[in-house]
Amino acid sequence: MNSNEPIKIAINALGGQGGGVLTTWLVELGKRTGYIVQSTSVPGVAQRTGATVYYVEYFPEQLAQQAKQQPVMALMPTPGDVDVVLCSEIIEAGRAIDRGFVSDKTTLISSTHRDYAIGEKIGMGDDRVNTDIIYQAAEKCAGRFVTADFSRCVEQSGSIISSVIFGALAGSGAMPIQREDFEAIIVEGKRAVETNLRGFDAGYTAVQAPQQEVVEEAPAVFVLPEKAAKAVQPLLERLRDMPAQVHEIGFLGLKKVVDHHDPRYGDLFLDRLSKVIASDSAANEFKLSNTVAKHLSLWMAYEDTIRVADLKTRGTRFERFRKDVRADDQQIVEVSEYLHPRVEEICDMLPAGLADKLLASKTARKMIAGIFSKGRKVKTTRLPGFLMMYCLSGLKFMRRSSYKYREENQRIENWLGLIDTHHAQDYALAVEIAALQRLIKGYGDTHARGLKNFTSIVDAIPSLAQQVNAAAGMNALQQAALKTEDGSALESALSQISDSGSAAA
Amino acid sequence: MAERSFAKEVEDLRIGDGEIFHGEGILAVTKALLQSGVSYVGGYQGAPISHLMDVLSDAQGILSELDVHFETSASEAAAAAMLAASVNYPLRGAVTWKSTVGTNVASDALASVASSGVTGGCLVIIGEDYGEGSSIMQERSHPFAMKSQIWLLDPRPNLTSIVNAVETGFQLSEASNTPVMLELRIRACHVYGTFTAKDNVAPEFTLKDAMENPTREYSRVVLPPSNFVHEIEKVEKRWPAAVKFIKENKLNELFGPESGEVGLIVQGGLYNTLMRALELLGLADKFGNPDVPVYCMNVTYPLIDDELVDYCRDKKSVLMIEEGQPEYIEQQLNQIINAAELNTKIVGKDIFPKAGEYQGQVVRKSLKKFFSQYAPELLKNTAEEKPPAITAEEKQLMAASVPGRPAGFCTGCPERPVFSAMKQIEQEIGKYHVSCDIGCHLFSILPPFDIGNTTMGYGLGWAGSSALQQSESSQRTVSIMGDGGFWHNGLTSGVGSAVFNKNDNVLIVVDNGYSAATGGQDILSSRAQNKTRSTNNPISSAVKGLGAEWVKEVQTYDLKDMKATLKDAMTTKIKGPKIIVAQSECMLNRQRREKPIRNKAIKDGKRIVRSRFGVDSDTCTGDHSCIRISGCPSLTIMDNPDPLRDDPVAHVNNDCVGCGVCGENAHSAVLCPSFYQADLLYNPNWWDRFATKVRGAVIGMLQRRRDRKRAQVSFEL
Repeated sequence: MNSNEPIKIAINALGGQGGGVLTTWLVELGKRTGYIVQSTSVPGVAQRTGATVYYVEYFPEQLAQQAKQQPVMALMPTPGDVDVVLCSEIIEAGRAIDRGFVSDKTTLISSTHRDYAIGEKIGMGDDRVNTDIIYQAAEKCAGRFVTADFSRCVEQSGSIISSVIFGALAGSGAMPIQREDFEAIIVEGKRAVETNLRGFDAGYTAVQAPQQEVVEEAPAVFVLPEKAAKAVQPLLERLRDMPAQVHEIGFLGLKKVVDHHDPRYGDLFLDRLSKVIASDSAANEFKLSNTVAKHLSLWMAYEDTIRVADLKTRGTRFERFRKDVRADDQQIVEVSEYLHPRVEEICDMLPAGLADKLLASKTARKMIAGIFSKGRKVKTTRLPGFLMMYCLSGLKFMRRSSYKYREENQRIENWLGLIDTHHAQDYALAVEIAALQRLIKGYGDTHARGLKNFTSIVDAIPSLAQQVNAAAGMNALQQAALKTEDGSALESALSQISDSGSAAA
Repeated sequence: MAERSFAKEVEDLRIGDGEIFHGEGILAVTKALLQSGVSYVGGYQGAPISHLMDVLSDAQGILSELDVHFETSASEAAAAAMLAASVNYPLRGAVTWKSTVGTNVASDALASVASSGVTGGCLVIIGEDYGEGSSIMQERSHPFAMKSQIWLLDPRPNLTSIVNAVETGFQLSEASNTPVMLELRIRACHVYGTFTAKDNVAPEFTLKDAMENPTREYSRVVLPPSNFVHEIEKVEKRWPAAVKFIKENKLNELFGPESGEVGLIVQGGLYNTLMRALELLGLADKFGNPDVPVYCMNVTYPLIDDELVDYCRDKKSVLMIEEGQPEYIEQQLNQIINAAELNTKIVGKDIFPKAGEYQGQVVRKSLKKFFSQYAPELLKNTAEEKPPAITAEEKQLMAASVPGRPAGFCTGCPERPVFSAMKQIEQEIGKYHVSCDIGCHLFSILPPFDIGNTTMGYGLGWAGSSALQQSESSQRTVSIMGDGGFWHNGLTSGVGSAVFNKNDNVLIVVDNGYSAATGGQDILSSRAQNKTRSTNNPISSAVKGLGAEWVKEVQTYDLKDMKATLKDAMTTKIKGPKIIVAQSECMLNRQRREKPIRNKAIKDGKRIVRSRFGVDSDTCTGDHSCIRISGCPSLTIMDNPDPLRDDPVAHVNNDCVGCGVCGENAHSAVLCPSFYQADLLYNPNWWDRFATKVRGAVIGMLQRRRDRKRAQVSFEL
C-alpha cells in the first residue's frame, strides 16, 4: 500500500477492552501522517463485554487538495473493502470473516489467544469451540494473515492490549507509516507512556517473529522411567510388565492414586487394571484398558476433606497461588480458603460404621450440621488455619476405614463389574461405560448430581445394550447429561431409549 | 460523575470563528447549539446521545458564561415539556434523548408544544438507536414527526452538515413556528471529524428577561377553542411556511448530473453509505460525485412536492433508499408522483430488504439489482465481484465456531449477586415470574442467569407485572427496577401504583448509585457529592413517603443477607408490597474513582491491602457451577493442568477486582473448596514482615516435612 491511497481499518474487539483508546490513537496517527481521518464506534450496551466494531478511514490530504474537494467517507466497513482488520481475539477474527470484512486486499491481524464466550464457559463439560476452522478460513480469505499471542504480550509487558495491537499493526507493515510515528502518538498521549511503549514493542516484535508453521509432530514415544523411590519401585516394575500401550496412562494414573493415598492403594489400582488388560487385546490397541486406567485413577483419587486439606497445604500450591495472583517477588500474600463442609463431608471421613449410624439419625445430623456446616473462611497462610488444614490432611491413616472409602470403592467395583459384563459382547459399549466416570466429579450437590446422572444412565444399559449402536447411544447419553444442569436433556434422552425399548419389546 | 469525562474536550467548545473543530458528532452538535444562541438545553441520557448530556454537564462553566440553563431532566417527557418556554418567548431551546424509546415517553408534551406552536426556535435532537449495537425495539421516529407535524431533519453524516442542520433547524423552527427534530443515527453521533467553527453567541433575549417580563397569550394554550385553531394553523400557515423555507434555503441537495433515465432519492443520513456503494460499483468518485442524479433528503418530513416532481419528471424510474419500516417516505412519494400524473416508476422496498439496517453491502447489492433491472448499461464498467474465497458451506461451518458474545455484567458488578441470589432462591422455593426493566440489570435475561419474562420500558418493571395479582396464588412475582428507571417514572408507575392497588408482590430496586447503563450519570439517590445537583436522596425514604411499609435495604455483596431478604419477601405472611433496595456502587465507577487513589497510595509508601480471588486448579473438577451462577468476565476457564482430566478448570484472570461474589457464591450454593481470596499487601510495616517471617518458618518446615514423606513414594527421582 502506498501513502497515496485511502486506508480502511476495522477493529473487531470486545467491549471494555480499550478499542476506544486504539481508535483514538489511530485517529491521531492519521492526522500526524497527512491523512484526513474519520472514525466511528457503537457505544452503549454493546460495550458491556459484548463484541463490537470500531471503524477508521484514512484519506490522503494530498488527494483532497488536488481535487479541491472533501472526501465522502463511510461510517462502517463495507465487505470486500477493508484494508486492515484488527482482532483482539481469534474468535473475533472468525466474526470479521463471517461479516465479510476480510478479503484478498485485507491484512488480518489477530491475537491467537482465547477469551472464552459465556456460552463456552457455562458448559458442564468442555463446550469450547474448535478454532482450527477459523485459522483455515483466515488463511484462505485474507490477503495476509498475521498472528501473535497478544495476551502473552500484555503479560510480558505489563501493558494493555490496545498498545500491543497498535504495535502489531506497526510491525505488520500493513500501513505506509513508520514506527517512529506510531510511537510518537503514544508519547503525545501522555498517559502511561512507558508501559504503553513496552506493550507496543511487544506487539511489534511478536508479529515480526517468524509465523509458526504448523508441523505435525509425531507423538513422542512414552518410556517408563527406570527408577522410582524404593517404596514404589515394585509398582513401577508391575506396570512395566503390562503391555507398553497402557504405560503412559497407567503411569499417570498410578502416580495419582499413590499421591492420593499410599503405595498399597497403587497396588489395588494395578490389580484392578490388570484384570481389564487380561481380557483386552493389542488388536483393540488396548483402548478399553487405557480408558479404564484413566477413569479408574480419577475415581480412586476421589475428592474428600483429607485430599483437599493435603492439596491446599502443599508448598507447591503456595508457589502456585503467588504466581496466579501475580504477586511480586517479596510481596506478602495472605490466602483465605472458602470452605463449606456439609454433614456428608464430615461423615465421609469418619469410620464407616459410625457414619452409617450418624447419617441415619436425624438428631445427630442436626447436631453435626449445627457445629460444622456453615461457610468458613480459613486463612491457610496463618498458623491456626494452616495447622488445622495440616492436621486434617494427616488423617490419611483413617481413610481406609472411612465411610467415603467404602462407598466409592464399592461403586468402583460395581462399575468395573459392569464393564466386564459387556466387554466380550460389545467392546465399544464397554469403553463408553468406562468413560462414563467423567460425570462423577466435584463436591456437594455437584457430586450428587453427577452420581445421579451416572446411575440413571447405568440403569438404562440393559435396554441400551439391545440397540444396534449401543456405544453411540451411550455417548449421546453422556453428552445429554452434560447439557443441562437440571437433568432435563438426559431425562428426555432416556425416555426415548425406554420408548424404543418398549417398542422393540 | 459520568463514565467518560469531557473536561478536556469541553475547552474546544470555546473556539471561535474560522478555527477548526475536531471531535465527535455529538460534540459538534453541542458547539452548534452554542453558536446558535441557545437559551436552555435539557434532556435524558441514553445511547447514542449520552455524551451530549455528559459534555453539557462538564461544560457548565461555559454555559453559565453564555447564560444557558442546562437541565438534567427527570425523563424525556420532562425534557419535551421544557420547550414550553419557547411558546411565549423568543427563546431558543434544545432537548435531547434516545429514540424511539425517548420519543415514546416524550410524545405527550411533544404533541402539546407542536399544537401551541413556538415563537423561539425549538430543536429536538434525537439519537436514532437503530441497527447494529441497538438495545431497543426497531422502530422509526419518523411517524412521531408526521403525527404531530413536527419537521424532521436527517442530515448527511459529516460534521459540517450536522452543524448546519442545527443552525438552519432553529431558523426553520422560527420561520414555521414549529419544533424541529434533528435525527442522528448511532454512528453519526460518534463519528469523529472536523468542521469550521463560528463564535459562540449569547442569547439576546434571556431567560431572566422572560421571567421578569412574562407575557400570556390565550391562543397559545391547548384548550378549546384554541386547539381547533391550532390544527387549521398547522396546515394553512405553518406547513407552507416550512416548505417555503426548506426550498428557499435549499436544505435538500442534488448531486451528480442534472438529468438521467434513472435517479436515486436517499435519506441524508444514508448518503455516505450510498456514495461508498456507488463508488464500489464504479458509479461515483471518492468525493461524493455520482454518475447518476441523486436527490438527498436532508429534510425527511415534510416532503417538498415540487422538488420531487421536478426531479422525477424526466426519469423512467427512481429508487427510494429509505431505512426502516413502514416505508412512509416511499408511500408519500408514490402519492406525490401519482397526483402529478407522472409515469416515473418508484422503486424501493420491493428491491431493498423490508427490515434491518442498510449497511454498505445491503445498499451495494440492492443498487446493483436496481440498475440491472432499470439501467443495465450503467453497470458495464462495474468490476465483477470476486467469488468468495471460501464456499458458503465452509463459511457456515466456520460461523458455527464463532460463539455469540451477548452483553453482560462487568467484572465485579454489584448487580450480579442480586441475580445469583434470585437463581439460588428459585432452587429453594420454585420458579417465579420475573418482570424486568431497562438498565444494566436487564442482562439477567441472558446467560448465565436466564432470569426474566418481559421488559416493558424504562421504569415499568413493576407495572409490567401488575396484572399478575391473585390472593389465591401460592407464589409471588418479582419485579426489577434500576435506580435510573425508578426516578424516571418507576416511583409512581410502579411503587405508587402497587401501594394504591394493595399489590402483594416483590420489587427489587437495584440501587448502584448511578444511571449506570447510560454512562454513569448522577441521579437523585447517587451517593456522590455533586456541586451542581442535589444527590443523596435515598430511595427507601421515597417509597416510604408513598406509603410502602415492607422496605428493606440490603448490601448486594452480602449474598447471605440478599438471599435471606428475598426469601423473606417471597414467603412472609405480611400482605402488601414488599420492596428490597439492593445497594452497592457500580463497580465501573468505583474502580474509576478508587484505582488512581490506591495506586497513588501505594506509590506514596502507604500500607495497602488489595484483594483478589483465585481458583485452585488441582481441586477444581471442571463442572463450572460457579460460572453458571456468576458470569463474571474475570471468572473464566483454562486447560486442565491434569492430563487425565478432559474438562477445563475454572480460573480467575487478572482483571479480578476482588468483589468477593464468587467466594460468597461458593459458600451459599455449597459449591466446592477451590475458591480462595488472596490479600496482596503493599508496603508492609515491621510487624507484617516479622509475623510473615515467623509464619513462613513454621509453615515451610511442616511443608518440607511432607515433601520428604512424599519423596519416599515418588516416581520421579
